[in-house]
Amino acid sequence: MPTSGKVKVIPCSGMGKVYGLMAREAALYAATRLCPDKADTMCLAYIVTGDADAEASIVNQPCITIDGCPAMCSAKSVAAMGGDVKEQFKVLDVMKEHKGARPGTATALTDEGWTIVEKIAGRLESRVQAICGEGR
Amino acid sequence: MEAKELKIGVVSCSGEDCAGGTISRLATRKMMDELRPDNTVTICLPLFLAGGQEERMFAKEYPTIAVDGCAKACAKRATEKYSGQVSGFVLVSDLIGKAAAEGPALSTRDLTAEHQAMVDKVAVEITRQFDAIMDAGCQKPGNETPASCGCGCNCSC
Repeated sequence: MPTSGKVKVIPCSGMGKVYGLMAREAALYAATRLCPDKADTMCLAYIVTGDADAEASIVNQPCITIDGCPAMCSAKSVAAMGGDVKEQFKVLDVMKEHKGARPGTATALTDEGWTIVEKIAGRLESRVQAICGEGR
Repeated sequence: MEAKELKIGVVSCSGEDCAGGTISRLATRKMMDELRPDNTVTICLPLFLAGGQEERMFAKEYPTIAVDGCAKACAKRATEKYSGQVSGFVLVSDLIGKAAAEGPALSTRDLTAEHQAMVDKVAVEITRQFDAIMDAGCQKPGNETPASCGCGCNCSC
């Protein structure tokens, strides 16, 4: 079974709200800048197709999901495909710490939005590091 | 009776693994924000699987255009798996080249003028297909065939 051996950080990338873009950018920031040697991301759309190859890439693999809305599409989809979901992040939980913030739109983030994204990415990185430290 | 306004669902893969996913996302957003804001509806692809009945029903009853970043064509296949055949399909890699589309994951913060030109090019193709569906849906009136395109008009499409 081909795997990267890294923790998969999988966002919802929801199209309709800014929180979907924030989830997407936080996952990318964590996986490509903060801990590229320990984490990578995977297209949620690919998981949704239910392809055998997609399933093989994720089943029993440590995953962190990050969702923009209460529908929790990433967490549900990854779990349904057999991913080992170690943590479910919610952008809205972080936004509660930033009442009144204007993070931007589903197309583009503001500077304030990017600041919050980096904060979320930092938490993702911490969790990645903890998962990688488990059982070693 | 006033005809129901035709809406078209534009379903983007928004893939996180490659640059084409980001291009597909931004081109779809451009349809919503600038090009056809009154008639474009986007659908969160993951909601098809996570139990989004509204999304599944919309895609069953209204025309959809799938916009995919790479040849895996996840948006097209997932839409057709859960809801029905798409009315249009835009493959980003066909328009900007396989190498560019399958390049590394791309943050919207790192967009260059070249990337923006790719977004514009993809959006032009979505718009072309969008308008063709609109034309087919609303300019072929027929009295005997019930409307099936979702626009509510009495056309034969």
